[in-house]
Amino acid sequence: MKNLLYIISLCGLLTACDLQEEPYGFYSDDNFYKNETDAESGLLYAYNALTFLEYSRGIFYIGDIPTETMSPKSDEAGDVYQLENWIAGRETEQLKYYFKYCYIAINRANTVIDHIYNSSALSETARRRILGEAYFLRAWNYFNLVRTFGVVPVQTQMVAELSQTTPPMATGLDQLYDLIFGDLARADELLEVNKVFGRADKVAAQALMAKAYLTVASSKEHNVYRYTEMRREPQIMYDSAAYWAGKVVRDYKNSYDFDDNLRDIYDVNKPTGPEHIFIMPIDRSGTQEGNYSKLPLLFLPSNNSVPFYIRYGNGDLQRANGNGWGVFLCNDEFVETQFSTTDKRRTELIHRDIYDVSGNPIVPNQVKGYFSSKYVDPDFIGERTSARPYLIRFSDIALVYAEAAGPEEGLAYVNRIRERAGVTPLPSGMTVDKFREAVIKERALELAFEGNRLYDLRRTASVTTTDIKAAGLSEAEAAYYPIPQREIDLNPNL
Amino acid sequence: MKTINRCLRSRWLLALFASLFLAVGASAQNEVRGRVTADGQPLVGASVIIKGTTTGTSTDTSGDFTIRAKSGAVLSVGFVGYKTREVAVTAGATFLDIVLEAEEALIDDVVVIGYGSMKKSDLTGSVVSVKMDAIKDISAPSVEGLLQGRAAGLQIMNTSQDPGAGAVVRIRGNSSLNGSNTPLIVVDGFPIGDAGNLSQINPSDIESIEILKDASSSAIYGSRGANGVILIQTRTAKGGSTQVSVNHRTTIGQFTDELNVWRNPLQMAQIANEELTNAGLPALYTGQYNNGTYYPSLIEIQQGKWSNTDWADLCMRTAVVNNTTATLSHSTDKAAINLSLNYFDDEGVYKKDNFRKGNVTLNGSYKLAKNFTLQTSNIFSIHKRHVNNTLEYGRNPLWPVYDEDGNYFVASETDFGHPLIISDNVKNETQGRDLISSLAAEWEIVEGLKIRTQLNYNYSTTVQDVYNASNTSQEAHDMNGIAQMNNSLSQDVLSETYITFQRTFADRHNLSVMAGHSFDYNMGRTLGTTAYDFVNDALGNENMGAGNPQKNVINNTYQNSKLLSFYGRLNYVLDDKYLFTFTMRADGSSKFGKNSKWGYFPSGAVSWKLHNEPWMQKLNVFDEFKIRASWGLSGNQGISPYQTLNRYGTEKYWFADKWQTAIGPGYEAGREGANDRYILWGGISNPDLRWESTRQWNLGVDLAFFRRRLRVTMDYYDKYTTDLLREKYLPLSSGYDKMWVNDGNIRNRGFELTLDGDIVSRKNTSLSATFIFSRNRNKVTDLGNAVSSGLSTDYLTGMQYEVCGQSLSMFNGNPSVYAIGYPMYVFYGYRVDGIIQQGEDPGFMSSDGKDLPGELKYVDLNGDYAIDDRDRCIIGDPNPDFTASLNLAFRYKNLDVSVFLNGVFGNDVIYNGYTYDPRVKIKRWTPDNPTNKYPRLNSTRSYLFSDYFVHDGSFVRMQNINIGYTIPVRKAFIRSVRVFANIENAYTFTEFDGYDPEVGVDGIYWGGYPRLRKYTIGLDLKF
Repeated sequence: MKNLLYIISLCGLLTACDLQEEPYGFYSDDNFYKNETDAESGLLYAYNALTFLEYSRGIFYIGDIPTETMSPKSDEAGDVYQLENWIAGRETEQLKYYFKYCYIAINRANTVIDHIYNSSALSETARRRILGEAYFLRAWNYFNLVRTFGVVPVQTQMVAELSQTTPPMATGLDQLYDLIFGDLARADELLEVNKVFGRADKVAAQALMAKAYLTVASSKEHNVYRYTEMRREPQIMYDSAAYWAGKVVRDYKNSYDFDDNLRDIYDVNKPTGPEHIFIMPIDRSGTQEGNYSKLPLLFLPSNNSVPFYIRYGNGDLQRANGNGWGVFLCNDEFVETQFSTTDKRRTELIHRDIYDVSGNPIVPNQVKGYFSSKYVDPDFIGERTSARPYLIRFSDIALVYAEAAGPEEGLAYVNRIRERAGVTPLPSGMTVDKFREAVIKERALELAFEGNRLYDLRRTASVTTTDIKAAGLSEAEAAYYPIPQREIDLNPNL
Repeated sequence: MKTINRCLRSRWLLALFASLFLAVGASAQNEVRGRVTADGQPLVGASVIIKGTTTGTSTDTSGDFTIRAKSGAVLSVGFVGYKTREVAVTAGATFLDIVLEAEEALIDDVVVIGYGSMKKSDLTGSVVSVKMDAIKDISAPSVEGLLQGRAAGLQIMNTSQDPGAGAVVRIRGNSSLNGSNTPLIVVDGFPIGDAGNLSQINPSDIESIEILKDASSSAIYGSRGANGVILIQTRTAKGGSTQVSVNHRTTIGQFTDELNVWRNPLQMAQIANEELTNAGLPALYTGQYNNGTYYPSLIEIQQGKWSNTDWADLCMRTAVVNNTTATLSHSTDKAAINLSLNYFDDEGVYKKDNFRKGNVTLNGSYKLAKNFTLQTSNIFSIHKRHVNNTLEYGRNPLWPVYDEDGNYFVASETDFGHPLIISDNVKNETQGRDLISSLAAEWEIVEGLKIRTQLNYNYSTTVQDVYNASNTSQEAHDMNGIAQMNNSLSQDVLSETYITFQRTFADRHNLSVMAGHSFDYNMGRTLGTTAYDFVNDALGNENMGAGNPQKNVINNTYQNSKLLSFYGRLNYVLDDKYLFTFTMRADGSSKFGKNSKWGYFPSGAVSWKLHNEPWMQKLNVFDEFKIRASWGLSGNQGISPYQTLNRYGTEKYWFADKWQTAIGPGYEAGREGANDRYILWGGISNPDLRWESTRQWNLGVDLAFFRRRLRVTMDYYDKYTTDLLREKYLPLSSGYDKMWVNDGNIRNRGFELTLDGDIVSRKNTSLSATFIFSRNRNKVTDLGNAVSSGLSTDYLTGMQYEVCGQSLSMFNGNPSVYAIGYPMYVFYGYRVDGIIQQGEDPGFMSSDGKDLPGELKYVDLNGDYAIDDRDRCIIGDPNPDFTASLNLAFRYKNLDVSVFLNGVFGNDVIYNGYTYDPRVKIKRWTPDNPTNKYPRLNSTRSYLFSDYFVHDGSFVRMQNINIGYTIPVRKAFIRSVRVFANIENAYTFTEFDGYDPEVGVDGIYWGGYPRLRKYTIGLDLKF
């Protein structure tokens, strides 16, 4: 009996000595990044940060709402109201979450880079591709940060412990653009041309490079706040933007080109069309918002929960959700004064009337304003749709090229877009300044409601002159949103 | 009534044994006859054994016995509750009249404490023994709810009346923000976990319950002792006899209040129209379709073309509970066995909503040798819960039950509220099995030195079946049916070994020492499967493979934790006057950071029995005067396993035409914002994370007067919890939101008083009363660094706070806060000063009509003529000022009556949805009815959380009235018959307007349905 007691006691002691915790049922630094599939999966995690609604809706909340092109329905309160009326500040949730998700995405990309930079666990081809995409993503998120918030903290390593959670502020815009250009140059070198829905390739890296160079070029030229401190020369920046955009628009015609059919660009079932250089991979079969999207609900008006139809010029009817929220309505004045009446981008993509299944107008039409049909999924399941934000479009880069390269090289590209829209071409012989002004206006029409306009206004220092609600803002207020309060409170290294 | 039947024994078995032995050993023996009595009454079933032999008998119904014994032999006569007497058989004496004396009550009771037991009179800490007699006649699925008001410092909230529902249990307040605030429950020496719903154990099987309150008594449970400990001992067979008993209770429940629903559809429609018109919207009941639903006009309703359905009648029924227990216990010198069976069936107030359980308890012990005993305790229970308790009994009475075709009527394509459709087509059933088992060996190596080793095993498994047919909700409709099957399994293995040594030296030094160690391994795993898209609803979730395989969702979890402990206790009593107790426990837990796995929890107590001092005895006032002081440290483990580790998350990414798994740093550690839409990211490791620790002072005094007929216990405590486990916010640029740290302090101070009196104590009549008073003051004293904790600051006072608890959709936010300097869960919001009257300046301006006549008149605290965040202040406290209870027990011969009152005083309750209630709506403000109490109707009004919704939650409840009668029987096979009847929740005195003010710790009233008044009749038979 004595022995039994000893045995029981001893068993207890021996098994107990190890109080170390082994992770079970979740991945961690200890059991992940062991092979190529891990690395691939880690990379997808970095991509997926872009799909969270705090980030993906920010494309429109920040890119379009504050401008003259888009307005929420009149009773919309909270963040949208603040952004629309240029009274958003450090506490505005949408800005806080946009900021947060940029860094979540950066941390996810940093984790990929830190783990596979020197890894021998995967093939060289895979390592180059995954590393290249991770660099692209890091640059993508820093570019979003710099054009939304200006000078921000810099984090280039994965955050693993408390001491790494307070990154220092960048010394200036130069440091941030050094990082962006450096990452994109590495991405360009590491990546191949490889058009895949939902992923970035060499061309995406070049396209983003062109956009970033153009942002520096025009911001510097227009003396945008803090860009004046930058050491980079505007002309060299324009040339660089033209160089990289030129490669994109000329060199990969088999994969990337204009889509001659305007409506096909916005067809949810054609995400691999020639226009799409980088598009968010959303599918209505997803189980949570982010995997599927509710974008159509934001854009469409309500028809008392009864699905309605949008009618196109050729008589096509497109089914649409009937329970829209009408948050992203097109501004009346913008639609009525900026587009020519024959512009297909107005006649085909902006609507006010709604129809029933037989094509008869629904009376009374309770639609309160113009709405865009760039985000409509006729095959929606309840509130789940496949409508996706267009992250980089070929026409965007064509216009970047035109703006950077000037009228001689660029006119053909602008006119190609105008021709597709059914409007008269721009005349030749414009001055560079006039031409660039015309391109910026073209961008407003072509890329309307695609999260572009605010950044064009900012880099040309024309926020306060274009949107009456922004009149009277200081240079700094017009150029950047303030860094969110929580970051100011908690990060002593700012 | 001439026999005493309080405790019964089996005679026939002993008689059988006795006759066998007699047959063997009969020689030169005389027949000795006698009678055993106590208080002038014969004792039935008293044991009469010849000392030093196993020969014995027991008394018959007249208290008489006959035994053959040699002259000079000594008879040992015993009966439970009486002192055993030894009587010598003298030659010639043929009839012995033996009178037993009752054992001196209470003072020498042995109470169970952690890892041992001790005489109640020697306790140095604050320990309360619950009188099981007071609660034995009440029918309940688990014991905790019955403890309400039964012990000072113990707060019980019976917040739910659903079948099988448990209770919220607190000892001396709340002391943790994120960890558990629930006491540890220990069954037969086995720490089971948090108290609240111990439905595995039939309350009838419980022999005793002890509540360990102060640190000196609970610190022996170390890292799990900070919230106090409830020790439960289950029944074991005793006293060398066989006992069989059967008891049954049937309970029916009736609402104590009317259901708050529309009974007059015309009035409902008028109110609804007025609500919309006031908001500037078109009226609803106008004979038009709205959103696919036809709303008749007032005239149509008046004409009676539409029904007035009593939905409550269709959804609900009289609640009935049946509870039957049968026990068999048998013991001999060497072995004892106790077997108990229970069936409990609770049919809730909603139709088809029920809870059933069956329970088998088998305890046994066997003396392998004189000094070596084996013990085992096994509790097996099986339960089944069918949930059907969210039926919409307040559905629009205009909607008929059936349409013209005899199908269930639905108002529109999106109407999924028909209670009978849901009742018929939603399946939600959980079945569970629990096993709590222990095996122990106790060896007394030499006298006073014992070693005990115990192996405990707790196994629990549940299976949940869910099916939502496509006509039961929007989601189920969109997904063509949702089927689920969820399994969980958990087990806990605890090995425990300790040595106790007890000896008295030189007649004045009484020493007892205990030392031991334990190892606890806890494991839990779950598997959940969901399938969608079924061709029809015929099979429910019976064949989940028939769903759309592309939409299947599977999730599983696993976690384990280990706890290694060493502990010891030293008790020293000098001259039966000065008592000292020291305890120490070291706990190592796998849950904590690698730099702080171990925690040390010491405690000490001293006590002085003044009544044993000669100078005090001279006073001749106090039968007991004991003062106690203790200090100790205990801990709270607070968090789930793996919180200190770095952790990745998994998500899905659409790529190459399918959903691919994406994995990386950061996982969903919580949510924030309206409707919890924003994820909070966690996953950074914190190797320094450690226990919450609570240090507690306790000062107490125990007094007894008038030959112990009046007993008083008072305690004052001061409990200070530091190193609270909290999540602190990180800078956004870290890519994370929060991480676990130790930060913040909470203080609980309080006073407890128990008065126990035997007012009348005569042979046939007795009356006793117990009065219990508890008062606890809770205060959050520190919430860490204001910035990193993300604390907000009150504009007017500079008070720092953070929101806590749950969000209320009516106010689009959380009403409760943790505020420095205030109790936990205080309410933070606006003040309202009546209703704005016509022509009155409300004192503020509002862009959305809050300043119109008939609206709530918010108080503009900061005087800027606007109502915004800066006008908020603390507007209520859900913590009671004090609680008190009174139990009266009366006995006249075989009739016993008890009345139990319980009261909670000075707590505030949030009446969530107050202005949505029909009873409030009809009293609305109108220009013709300028009330200052009820706002006008306005369907688009947004509510700010204000003191208008904070109501006084004080109440005094006539909790239980019980009448029992013990029928004297003389039949040989039956020992006792007791019939009883009781009413639970007989009457409640309260100012609260809702159904009932007894709500959870956060003080939020959710409506639900009225509290039930429960009528029970019961029968106890003993054989």
